[in-house]
Amino acid sequence: MKDTRTGGAARGAAMVVGGGIAGMQAALDMANAGFYVYLVERSPAIGGAMAQLDKTFPTNDCSM
Amino acid sequence: MKDNRFEPKILAMICNWCAYGAADLAGVSRMPYPPNVRPIRVMCSATVSPHHILRAFQEGVDGILVGG
Amino acid sequence: MSLSGEAGNLTVTVRRHPRYVDVEKCIACGLCAEKCPKKVDDAYNENLIPRKAVYVPYSQAVPLKYAIDAQHCIYLQKGKCGACEKHCPSGAINFKDTEKTVEINVGSVILAPGFRSFDPGRLDHYAYGTCPDVVTALEFERILSATGPYGGHLLRPSSMKGKKATGAAPRKIAWLQCVGSRDQNRCANGYCSSVCCMFAVKQAVMAKDHAHDPLECAIFYMDLRTQGKDFDRYAEKARSNGVRFVAARIHTVDWRPGTADLGLRYVDEGGQLHEESFDMVVLSTGLEVNPAAVDLAENLGVDLDRHHFVATDSFHPVATSRPGVFACGVFTGPKDIPQSVMEASAAACAATEPLAAARHTCTRQVRVPDERDVRREAPRIGVFVCNCGINIGGVVRVPEVAAYARTLPAVVYVEENLFTCSQDTQDKMAGVIRDQRLNRVVVAACTPRTHEPLFQETLVAAGLNKYLVEMANIRNQDSWVHADNPDAATVKAKDLVRMAAAKAFLASPLQETDLPVDRGALVVGGGIAGLTAALALSRQGYPVHLVDRDKALGGQARRLNTAFQGEPVGAFLEEKIRQVQADERIHVHLETTVAGVEGFVGNFETTLHAKDGSTTVRHGVALLATGAEEYRPSEYLYRQHPAVVTQLEMDALLRQDDVHIDQANDVVFIQCVGSRNAQRPYCSKVCCTHSIKNALAVKARNPEANVYILYRDIRTYGTREDLYRQAREAGILFFRCAPEDPPRVQSAGGRVEVVFADPILGRRMAVEADLLCLATAIVAPAETELARLFKVPLDADGWLLEAHQKLRPVEFATEGVFLCGMCHYPKPIEESIAQAQAAAAKALTVLASDTIRVGGVVSYIDPRYCSGCLGCIQVCPYAAITYDPEARVAVVNQALCKGCGACAAACPSEAPVLLGFSNPQLYAQIRSAVAA
Repeated sequence: MKDTRTGGAARGAAMVVGGGIAGMQAALDMANAGFYVYLVERSPAIGGAMAQLDKTFPTNDCSM
Repeated sequence: MKDNRFEPKILAMICNWCAYGAADLAGVSRMPYPPNVRPIRVMCSATVSPHHILRAFQEGVDGILVGG
Repeated sequence: MSLSGEAGNLTVTVRRHPRYVDVEKCIACGLCAEKCPKKVDDAYNENLIPRKAVYVPYSQAVPLKYAIDAQHCIYLQKGKCGACEKHCPSGAINFKDTEKTVEINVGSVILAPGFRSFDPGRLDHYAYGTCPDVVTALEFERILSATGPYGGHLLRPSSMKGKKATGAAPRKIAWLQCVGSRDQNRCANGYCSSVCCMFAVKQAVMAKDHAHDPLECAIFYMDLRTQGKDFDRYAEKARSNGVRFVAARIHTVDWRPGTADLGLRYVDEGGQLHEESFDMVVLSTGLEVNPAAVDLAENLGVDLDRHHFVATDSFHPVATSRPGVFACGVFTGPKDIPQSVMEASAAACAATEPLAAARHTCTRQVRVPDERDVRREAPRIGVFVCNCGINIGGVVRVPEVAAYARTLPAVVYVEENLFTCSQDTQDKMAGVIRDQRLNRVVVAACTPRTHEPLFQETLVAAGLNKYLVEMANIRNQDSWVHADNPDAATVKAKDLVRMAAAKAFLASPLQETDLPVDRGALVVGGGIAGLTAALALSRQGYPVHLVDRDKALGGQARRLNTAFQGEPVGAFLEEKIRQVQADERIHVHLETTVAGVEGFVGNFETTLHAKDGSTTVRHGVALLATGAEEYRPSEYLYRQHPAVVTQLEMDALLRQDDVHIDQANDVVFIQCVGSRNAQRPYCSKVCCTHSIKNALAVKARNPEANVYILYRDIRTYGTREDLYRQAREAGILFFRCAPEDPPRVQSAGGRVEVVFADPILGRRMAVEADLLCLATAIVAPAETELARLFKVPLDADGWLLEAHQKLRPVEFATEGVFLCGMCHYPKPIEESIAQAQAAAAKALTVLASDTIRVGGVVSYIDPRYCSGCLGCIQVCPYAAITYDPEARVAVVNQALCKGCGACAAACPSEAPVLLGFSNPQLYAQIRSAVAA
């Protein structure tokens, strides 16, 4: 399944490998800037290690 | 069997971004609580004014939870 | 995963694992997991409790859909069982799901595979794995969590073993730092994991918060590395709240099976041996790169460093050795959440730069029918009551609720659905809206937080304004929490439907309009951060005004020699400046200041003051990169004795090959001069690494010189730790000085005598230094005026205060204004560059959209009722309300309003209306909550 619309020029799409806080942020920023993003994650849900944290400092916010 | 114990009617005015989400999560986690709370979703607890509280008491509400 | 092609046009081959659950059909009701007979260790809860073989990783997971763990599923392993398939109400289980290989064509790839926590099971001297009360930091985090194994109660794991366990709270917890970090002997992780000190402090604070009885918390550390923004303050607060900090590395945990005593032995700084027992020990386990990520890097041809982190240079912090492949997060080195978030945005900026010409070519636009004008129609409400399989219908008597809904005012249509959210129901609902000429919709189902957008889309597809749908949450807030009381749950469901219908009755269509966005950007500050941001924006096709009050570009970086990995700053900076000057899209304004700012996101108009007069520039976004300054000390004979220099002056001496360095016998560095004191209770972050780098440079030129570093904590976080090790190996002498007993300096002819206490030798030392370098603080320039003009806040130390310290590190609550570099907090070059790229990425999300959509759920101030008291202006957290002096009323700027409704509550005459949540609507809900 090759896309030939852009010929040899750059594609307007990007891939992010890893759906933790960094991967999610990178994916969101690219999508919001007009690029199609494929977010690839090993596990059945995104969230990564941050989802395991209870609270985060300095505000002691819930990390969800 | 019916008993005549007083059961308060409680209104919960809860913020969409936190307390309402927490109430949803209580559901996901199947945490039971008494059924006499009626939630109203607001976009921020800051939008709840004394007028709302007084009106609720006028209408016959017994207690109000503002969550945000 | 494999990769072929060139940067800009890469083909990635991805293996897609089977999930065995159709996410389109799964409604996350959880019946499958309830019926699944197979228990498996729950990795999300660090294996402290079991989960089932069919599971959602955690209760707030996205997507909130189940998956089958094939390795443990009885059916998939042995061919029988299938309990989940039998009980699934929506037929979502698909055992025939297979692995698929997918080829995806993209322009760039960003690697963010994260880390794994060091496994202390590899070491046998911490009693980890034998004593259940010795846990890792992540295990402890799960124990503290309300969704964790003990429901958020702080309990010792040993007291929770067995069926009849009642649980006992710990009374004394020790945190052992640097387990699997800063350790080349017992593991190969010579680096500092950067986050564990702060992680332990937070856990100690939270543990004390959780405990009902007095709880003793002690943190055993080597150097307390709380170098981030506000971290020292947090740690000091923890200390004053009774968290004990002990400077000692613990080697062994003594545990005799059958007892609750965990014995620690340590030598304090005075050389005295202590023995102390605890009943719980938390191992502050380090971060390391997952072996799978190491393989991934190898497959993709991405170079890693000796610690298996992605090899990056300080000037290109998110670029890898393979063009077109970028990296961020812990994969490029140990770092905390804010830094990961910044790097992620930086990677988004860098990865899309070569693709800028193809922006919007792969994204899709949705076509919608014209909206029907319903403003003159009497309300015709349609109610859709969902069974959600048996999730609602198994508790709430749905037919009774539907019958009741028919009796409500203006309700002309009622329908029950098995799954209201299913795609076929959406199509049907759109048809019903058209056929029945409905103009309001109530969906009684789950929560609007997840499903409102779906139903809004359906309304739009049926030609209705999307704000005409109201949800009654009869699942999450009813059937799921009152499963034991179907009568009360049914009564509540009726009440919720009545409340929703009463609100919908008063709903009106809300307008959304698109405002054009000015394509230009304003960057204030021409230091390394400002230059980086300006170039990043220009390379993506947007014009930039770059403003600096100085005569030349470059900022503080002009005075620096090398970045921490030895890269020369001068050549890099010159090249950057040359690129900026040659860039046709960048307009440089030197010796210029910002004098006035009007407008809002997408439409700013800023007045610039230069010597030759004022100009006004229009721009869509603003980036503040105003930098910071070196503290000019009044202590330690600075400016009174020629042998005393600051860090940046030391850089200059080294750059100029000054003879003083070659002739020096003794060189002393004093750390934390002006930092971490009462006046500036923060860490300047860069000085430890800077001093060590300069100490090594002195040693390299003059190996005979004695070099001393007097410090409080050496904060060479991350892989900077390698420099600290090199320095010790090079014979540089380190002495820890307590803050209450700082070094004393007096003149001794051409030299200065430095006297300090050495705790290990237990006596005072005196060194006559030829050169005394003060590692001076970095201080915030007083940018109060700039902050006021852009309506952005400053923190207590004078740094610009971002919107959220963790998740929005380069944004402000004021939209369209961003920050980067040292005006945010002191930081090394690589972090300034990453933050500048991140700020550019955020700015690009505004600039690339061409228009901003405003309206919807926003506030509107009815001028007829406004008395101009300014009360709403004071409470608005987004500075979205201004006073119109001609009309003498307050006016909401819909582009800035976030729809919180604080103004509506503050107004004594109810002039502001939060559209979609108006007071008449709230009163109607309140009234119908109690009155049937």
